[in-house]
Amino acid sequence: MTPVDSLFLVSGLTLVVALLFGRQRLTASLLVALYGAQFAALVQTGTLFGDPVTASFGVTVLDQPMHWRYDALSWFFAMITIGAGFFCAWYAAGVWQEAHVKRGHSPWLFHVALAANVFAMVVLLGSGDFLSLFLGWELVSWASFLLMALGGRASGRAALRYLTYAFSGAMAILGAMALLYTQAGSLEYAQVGAAIPKLSAGQLWVLLALLGGGFAVKMGLLPFHLWQAPAYAETPGPGSAFLGAISARMGLYAIIVVIVSMVGVARLVDLSIPFTFLSGRDLIAWIAALTVILPTYTALQQHDARYLLAWHGIGQGGYMLLGLVVGNAVGSAGGLLHIFNYALTQAALLMAVFAVVHRTGTADLNKLGGLVARMPLTFLVLLFGIISLAGLPPMAGFVSKWMIYRSLITEGMPLLFVAAIVGTLGTILSVYKLIHNIFLGQLRLEHEKVPEAPLSMLIPMLALSTLIFLAGFMPGPALSWVAEVQRLVGLPQVQYSLGGVVDPRGGLDMIWLVSILLAGFGVGAVVFYGFGGKSQQVHQLNNYAGGHFLTADVRYQYSDNFYAGLMHLIGPWYRGAFRWIEDGVGGVVDLLSYAMNWVYRSVQPLVFLLATTVAMLVWAAV
Amino acid sequence: MSVTWAMNPTLPIVLPLLGAFLLQPIARVSAALARAVGPAILIACLWVLTETWLAQGGRPFAVAIGGFAAPLGIVLYVDRIALLFAAAVPTFALLFWPWAGTGQEATRESALLLLLVSSVTGLALSGDLFNIYVFYELAAVASFGLVAIHATGRAYVATIRYLLQSAFGSLLALVGIAILYTKTGTLNLAHLAQLAPSTLHDPLGLASFALMLIGFGVKGELFPVNTWVPEVYATAPARIAALLAGLVSKLAVLVVVRLLVLVFNQPEAAQLMLVLGAVGMVSGELSAWRAKDFPRMLAFSSIGQLGMVFIAFSLPGTTGVLAGLAVAFHHLVVKSGYFALAARWGGSLESLSGLGRRSKLAGAIYVLFALSLIGVPPLPGFWTKLIVLVALAQHGSLELVAMAAILVVTAIEANYLFRLAVVLYRKDKAAPAGPEARAPGLGVGLVAPLLALVLLAATIAIVPVTEGLRKVAAQTVDVASYVRTVFPPVSLPLAQKD
Repeated sequence: MTPVDSLFLVSGLTLVVALLFGRQRLTASLLVALYGAQFAALVQTGTLFGDPVTASFGVTVLDQPMHWRYDALSWFFAMITIGAGFFCAWYAAGVWQEAHVKRGHSPWLFHVALAANVFAMVVLLGSGDFLSLFLGWELVSWASFLLMALGGRASGRAALRYLTYAFSGAMAILGAMALLYTQAGSLEYAQVGAAIPKLSAGQLWVLLALLGGGFAVKMGLLPFHLWQAPAYAETPGPGSAFLGAISARMGLYAIIVVIVSMVGVARLVDLSIPFTFLSGRDLIAWIAALTVILPTYTALQQHDARYLLAWHGIGQGGYMLLGLVVGNAVGSAGGLLHIFNYALTQAALLMAVFAVVHRTGTADLNKLGGLVARMPLTFLVLLFGIISLAGLPPMAGFVSKWMIYRSLITEGMPLLFVAAIVGTLGTILSVYKLIHNIFLGQLRLEHEKVPEAPLSMLIPMLALSTLIFLAGFMPGPALSWVAEVQRLVGLPQVQYSLGGVVDPRGGLDMIWLVSILLAGFGVGAVVFYGFGGKSQQVHQLNNYAGGHFLTADVRYQYSDNFYAGLMHLIGPWYRGAFRWIEDGVGGVVDLLSYAMNWVYRSVQPLVFLLATTVAMLVWAAV
Repeated sequence: MSVTWAMNPTLPIVLPLLGAFLLQPIARVSAALARAVGPAILIACLWVLTETWLAQGGRPFAVAIGGFAAPLGIVLYVDRIALLFAAAVPTFALLFWPWAGTGQEATRESALLLLLVSSVTGLALSGDLFNIYVFYELAAVASFGLVAIHATGRAYVATIRYLLQSAFGSLLALVGIAILYTKTGTLNLAHLAQLAPSTLHDPLGLASFALMLIGFGVKGELFPVNTWVPEVYATAPARIAALLAGLVSKLAVLVVVRLLVLVFNQPEAAQLMLVLGAVGMVSGELSAWRAKDFPRMLAFSSIGQLGMVFIAFSLPGTTGVLAGLAVAFHHLVVKSGYFALAARWGGSLESLSGLGRRSKLAGAIYVLFALSLIGVPPLPGFWTKLIVLVALAQHGSLELVAMAAILVVTAIEANYLFRLAVVLYRKDKAAPAGPEARAPGLGVGLVAPLLALVLLAATIAIVPVTEGLRKVAAQTVDVASYVRTVFPPVSLPLAQKD
């Protein structure tokens, strides 16, 4: 039995335990331990720095072998997946589960769905050929569907929309597999990898369109992004955190395996788009850049904290892809590192938001406010999270985004750089809205007695926040993983130190940077508390604006409909073009369906029969 | 090898036929005996077929009825594919047997069912076109009776439409057969296979194939002679719809496949079938998208799936037949299971709200079938789809269009199947009270769970299943062996075939 077998076994065991004992209250804690065991089993495989390990099982159907193996790339993604599963299960294990049950939901279904998601991803990440890749892909898709469909009616609708997108994407992948099989005579990575360089430009475009399109759906790349935000946002708390942290990255995993590793960035650069000056890489990079900008500004419009974060998830995926297709050492490392950093960030942010939902019953940004004094630790978690999400020091998100920006500049892509900056501007604006409308500003009367989030939820949140800070303060360990992944998939390797990136043209040392930053804060604190600092405690509902006392039922201007002024300026730019396209496609299918129904309902079927017979006889004669 | 009575392939045809005619007199003597006769005959048929399979080990053999050698006499041809389809007939007839029925009506239904069994078994085993035509007509008559058995006004209208279309289809098939006979002077398939390359590869031959394709396509739900399907399946008892959609359609397809492989082995014929199959698939799945009740949804989905069966069988060589067999048998299991559920799932789709929560097993089975139908690995539906797609990708541009069509309509299929799944598991609606309240329904007895188990077993045993089907397919396309079996070398007279 190889270590990979044990990993599959432990992961499968987690699912079985959830299936059999998911109804018992204590199982939740057992499951947390089992996710920990999965993590241990993953570390035990030693595939990050060592050689790939193959699973000892496999099956050959119709001469097509299906097998599984783990390498550095699998390790990297599996580490994030299992970690996310661990923290989310912990978050769910205590008070959250009780509340979930009280709302009339089944704890069993939730545990099963989460365990199934982790297991499906473990299977996907171990895929050793296109068949097992597709198997894992579908398992992940359906496991996500299960998790999404757990909520009420809104989540059912969102899940169905997701399903339609995901399955259409899967069909594109399946079609690409059939075409690849005719070219390579096999679905093994090795043979396909050998056949791809021989493909003509036209064939490669078809392949990229089908595979890229299929993978893009799961990642929420434009124009296939509409499903993601509602689906993830409507998923019950920890499930949402899990999906947001890692599920969407499965598309990126497949892109790395197939497009980056097999096709290669160099081939993409050579592949020119007919009648334009753009290359295949430019196309992907611009899709990524637009995926950064548009969803981020859609996030800015959201009045529901869950939706706001879910829309950001789409945009951050764009950064990752952007870094990857730049293709140099720093850029691709930045893209890969952002997967890890963002997973930490998004999990922490969603957990904080759902902690607020748990206490107040709403995620509506127009119905919250002033909770900082009520839930200070949750506030801290959210603060760490948004700093990281916006890509500001000293948090983890800064490191990866810095690397992506830097590679865009050094590789001579100034327009993409500007696009990335525009995206970050939107991020900063919207995360400020998030933290302001939940925690700052005016406390609502009904929230006067709201307590801090329960401990069972706080511990994983705080642990994640610590990791966010540590990954920003000392990005070295994470960069060492990323460098291994780069080696495996044939990208240039990044040079790193404990504090950050080593580069003769100017690196990054976060230890220094953070020290200086903290020293600056220290000086500020000394000045504030030493010299001025005459603060007086007043009750939170004791508000003044413009010298007037405000009663708690009068809302001061910008605690709801935040950014009304900004929206007045940029509002007309939101055209909803993608929604329009989506509706259009749905409408066309509906119309065609109506026409076909008419054919089948026609009163005179014999007319068709006769017409066809004549047509066929004519055809036969010609 | 001598043909013992226990493996005489005429028995599965003759026994149900006898039973069908004797059932009424027997019922007058003893109702209990009449109830036992039908199942007993079916089990006997199944036993004979199994014996034959075991004894022959898959080697084909032919039996001349009444001792007249082919091409003069009537020939039954027994090979793997014939046995497979023939064995499916009594099996599914048993699954959908009217166990609960009593009285005159049940006797009548049993008799008709036996008639149907006899005739479609005949379709599978016949070695000449004349017999095939006779059995096909017999099957049509039996199915008209079955469809209209629980007579309501709508059922009658649907049946009349079915009857009209079927009659015209038969007429066309007969014209096709007549052309064939005029050109070759024989209706024996083996003989035709020998003569075809020299006499039938011309426009007239093609026209004859086209006519027969349309004619036999009526029961095979081929576009455009399938417009009877939605109304008939929606109004007929679910058990009957299950048999027609699952079983009878496949036997009609088998006839077309035999013709295509043995007689009309030319690209134009296959292309015609591909195009009609693709149009049928697209139109069926698109129509299902707007279906408002479960039986109609199933009917349209069945049209779509049979379109895919035709597409698959239109591909040349072993891969084509393998692909077709895989899709056909998968659809046989899944659609029969669905119609078994449909027995309790009438009314609008909205009225099924929350059903999956009230009947956990039924809901789970629905989802399992849906997953397999749209081809989610590792369920068998995925492998069938993969075989078809890979086979299509290896041919010309028309095949690539068909491949794209399959991919697109599968996405549509996924949407409408899971739209219903979401309705089934909807929570916020209280369980309807009064006459609307449905018992948590599995439909026809344990059929659906049984077929679900079959599906799961096939998932686990996917390697032996596909290998077995591949053997069947390889044997089916071996025209030389077919001819050799029916016309053994002269030194071995047919009477003492060894």
